[in-house]
Amino acid sequence: MAIPGNKDIRDGILFSLPFMIVFALFMIYPLIFGLYISFFKWDILGTPSFLGLQNYADLLADEKFWSSLWHTVQFVLMTTPVLLVLGFLMALLVTSKSPLRGIMETCFFVPYIFSMTVVATLWAWIMQKDFGIINQVLNILGRDGVSWLTSEKNAMWSISVATYWWTAGFNMVLFTAGIKQISKEIYESATVDGAGMLQQVIHITIPLLKPTTILCLILQIIASFNVFGQVYVMTGGGPAGSTRVLVQYIYETGFNYFRMGYSAAMSYVLFVIIMAVSVLQYVFLGRRED
Amino acid sequence: MRKRLIAIIALVVAGAMLFASAAPEKSAGKEGPIELKFWSLFTGGDGEFFNAMIDEFNASQDEIHMTNDMVRFDDYYTRLTTALAAGTAPDVIVLHQARLINYVPSGVLLPLDDYVSEEMLSDFQTAPLEACRMDGNLYAIPFDVHPIVMYSNKALLDAAGVTEIPETAEEFLAAAKAVKEATGEWGSLIDNTTGTYKAYTLTRLFVSLVNQQGGSMLTEDLSAAAFNNEYGYNALVGLQMLVNEAGVNPNELDYDAAMNMFKLGEGAFYFNGVWATGTLEQTDGLEFVASPLPPFMGKSAAWTDSHTFAIPVQKNQDPVKVEAAIKFIDWMTENAHLWAKAGNIPTRTSVLEGEEFNALPYRADYAAAVSSVIANPPTAAWGEIYETLSDLLESAVTHNEDPQTALDGMEATVNEIISHY
Amino acid sequence: MRNMKREVIFRILEVLIIAIWIFPLAWMVITSLKFENEVVTRSFTFLPQNPTLHNYQEAFGSTYILQWLLNSLIISAVTMAGTFVLDAPIAYAFAKIRFPGRNILFWIVMAGMMVPFQVLIVPLYLQFNSYGIINTLTAAILPRLAMPIGIFILRQFYEGIPDALEEAAFIDGAGRLRTFVQIIMPLGKAAATTVIILAFINAWNDFLWPLIAISDSVNYTITVGIANFQGTHGTEYAMIMAGAVIASLPELVFFLIFRRKIIDGIAMTGIKG
Repeated sequence: MAIPGNKDIRDGILFSLPFMIVFALFMIYPLIFGLYISFFKWDILGTPSFLGLQNYADLLADEKFWSSLWHTVQFVLMTTPVLLVLGFLMALLVTSKSPLRGIMETCFFVPYIFSMTVVATLWAWIMQKDFGIINQVLNILGRDGVSWLTSEKNAMWSISVATYWWTAGFNMVLFTAGIKQISKEIYESATVDGAGMLQQVIHITIPLLKPTTILCLILQIIASFNVFGQVYVMTGGGPAGSTRVLVQYIYETGFNYFRMGYSAAMSYVLFVIIMAVSVLQYVFLGRRED
Repeated sequence: MRKRLIAIIALVVAGAMLFASAAPEKSAGKEGPIELKFWSLFTGGDGEFFNAMIDEFNASQDEIHMTNDMVRFDDYYTRLTTALAAGTAPDVIVLHQARLINYVPSGVLLPLDDYVSEEMLSDFQTAPLEACRMDGNLYAIPFDVHPIVMYSNKALLDAAGVTEIPETAEEFLAAAKAVKEATGEWGSLIDNTTGTYKAYTLTRLFVSLVNQQGGSMLTEDLSAAAFNNEYGYNALVGLQMLVNEAGVNPNELDYDAAMNMFKLGEGAFYFNGVWATGTLEQTDGLEFVASPLPPFMGKSAAWTDSHTFAIPVQKNQDPVKVEAAIKFIDWMTENAHLWAKAGNIPTRTSVLEGEEFNALPYRADYAAAVSSVIANPPTAAWGEIYETLSDLLESAVTHNEDPQTALDGMEATVNEIISHY
Repeated sequence: MRNMKREVIFRILEVLIIAIWIFPLAWMVITSLKFENEVVTRSFTFLPQNPTLHNYQEAFGSTYILQWLLNSLIISAVTMAGTFVLDAPIAYAFAKIRFPGRNILFWIVMAGMMVPFQVLIVPLYLQFNSYGIINTLTAAILPRLAMPIGIFILRQFYEGIPDALEEAAFIDGAGRLRTFVQIIMPLGKAAATTVIILAFINAWNDFLWPLIAISDSVNYTITVGIANFQGTHGTEYAMIMAGAVIASLPELVFFLIFRRKIIDGIAMTGIKG
């Protein structure tokens, strides 16, 4: 932008400076410091001893690291598609002509504002094996209760269900915004051409929502890769470590066993993975757009 | 809309400032008693009794005022360690004896030898006190000993015609089966699945059973696992059998569920630390007997740990506070009969022989059982080993894995953990 | 006629969906009004037989729950204000000022969005400890201010403001700062609202960092305090649910007041995606 007496450099620096100071202090500096720690063996209390790349080498051979990474990927795969579809379906309801659309929007969105602790404890209670309401109702119906959180085949799905409930509303809002941007005329001319509601959704809404879908996908994958709280509160990583996700393993090695260096090394690997996935998505999905 | 938003923010910030500026004044005032801060991890049943003790301590004298801050067990050591590293730890802390080894070598705990009188120390039982000594220095004072014990539901045993508390593995299995047949309720309630807590009970029983046969968890030099043998095999098969072949113990049972089911009278035998005693005693309509862990696989031996009091090293250690902290510790251990209400076993002879303690049911038996407790392996790796074994045992028992394969896996994992410390 | 019938069926389905979605919240409240022995029981009843506020009294009486709420409010409010003050200028710079290194700087800042917070915890802890601010609310606030999500949203919006508006201001002799304050900021009101609302929600819900940074339970945030509930009282579900209700109420009120703003705000992050 041209400005009389071009002071772009000065202004650029001045306007960026306040945030950049905070960013440098509380993001960049700890990031570098963390990387430094990852080359050491350190229990936080004693003196660190230099290990070089040993932590990273150990990590490759650590079965628990790979299983935790796999559980994280499982969680990403279990939540991302469902959350996108659910958010999209909700958005369709909310943008319909139903007189209830306002109420629906509020109801679908409201879980998102609750804190993870509240959501996770609430669902842990609902799914509690002996006295939770789902199994109590099953008992009344004469069926045996299900181990929602204490059996390996159900636990991750149960955590996912709580997550659907918690965050689907967020995606709904993004999709709703996307749908509202599509011009009415396109639908009107489709109606004139005799296209039914379903056909309109498939042939108009979905293709035109591609940018929104990509945004949702990227945000969702980043969020799902960082999953920790729900698992920590609902199953503690159990049963038998079958829902232990990578962030939890990072937390445990760091803050239960105080192997700070190893923990830091793992968090760097997670960082790189998230970064790579995001960039790949951006490149592959974003490119085709143009 | 924006105005409203701004008004609300302004109001909140103003309110916050007011409150923030008002807050610090409370702790001023030099005249008052010495203020001590204390962190503890007593939860559930324990917590209630502990809080009552702190209140009583504060009421008993006006020289020292103790503030207790309760932290959830899961987060306790995280917070403690970070605070120790930062030098922001409180004046007195609670530590499990098994964890001392993680802190002593870094020099974050104050050696207490110069502060406690010989007279006070001579009142303590030797074993728990010696467990707090490292390299000749005393780093903590034992508050209690808490082994795992067996709780039996009287009504269910009566209904099944079981008159004697089982002593051997065969008797136990027979009794559990009899209860299942006669009443339809569960024979035993050993939690085997992660819920609020990991399946620690499995680890505690495994450790106990291995030791009952004369084995131990780690080699003598603590450099490797020592349970991948006949002892470990028998212990594991015994635990698996209850859930699987015999079917007398529910599968996928977590800690809270096991406790609740025993309270509701849905199982005959229940295994937990002595700390559950007080809670169970408060349960209406539950008639139970508590007994030291029977010698199922040979001799008497039971997993145990001990709560100890320790004093963190501070940047500017105030001798007045240290002295006050010792007085507090002295009072707490001297009045541990109050703590015994929860079920925990006191560590001082005067308390163990005192009237108050002996008036409580079962506790005298527990105290006798202290002679057969198992010391935790003094290695910094033990914490991680203990947690990890809980996961592996959970998997082995709930999936009824081949015991030898499971033991091989456990051994390899434990050895790998040790190599990192 | 057929249309009528279809409409009715749709409405019924919608009501059902709403009921299912809202049910967990209702169940949270219902549980909190029961006595514990009515909760842990085999003779299940849906509604409380003797409704009681006992759990709430306990929660208020035996914990610092009011203090936790206040702490959370302070942290969230300061984070809200701080985020805006820091994010808006740099977002403007990224959107409108052509200075060398702008793109690199922008991508560095955006990469910050992908950093798993766990990476930062240990270094931050040690860093704050050396400043002597561990166990204070300040410690809970500062790392949040370095989160770049607000910049992303604001920049997108500012980019959409036509250059012509700014040019007109420059021709009138206004400097950069005045243009920013008088033209850009008022136009970006909607985006700014989004940013501070998101900042509020995120700060309120933050768990891991305050858990570690704050050690005295008096200084807990409500989110951390509630997680601790489980311990102090064993696993007492009725009590925990009462705590959850108390913890959620302020957010619910906040949401209901600013419902439109919040939803529209989040929607904006998606436009131009």
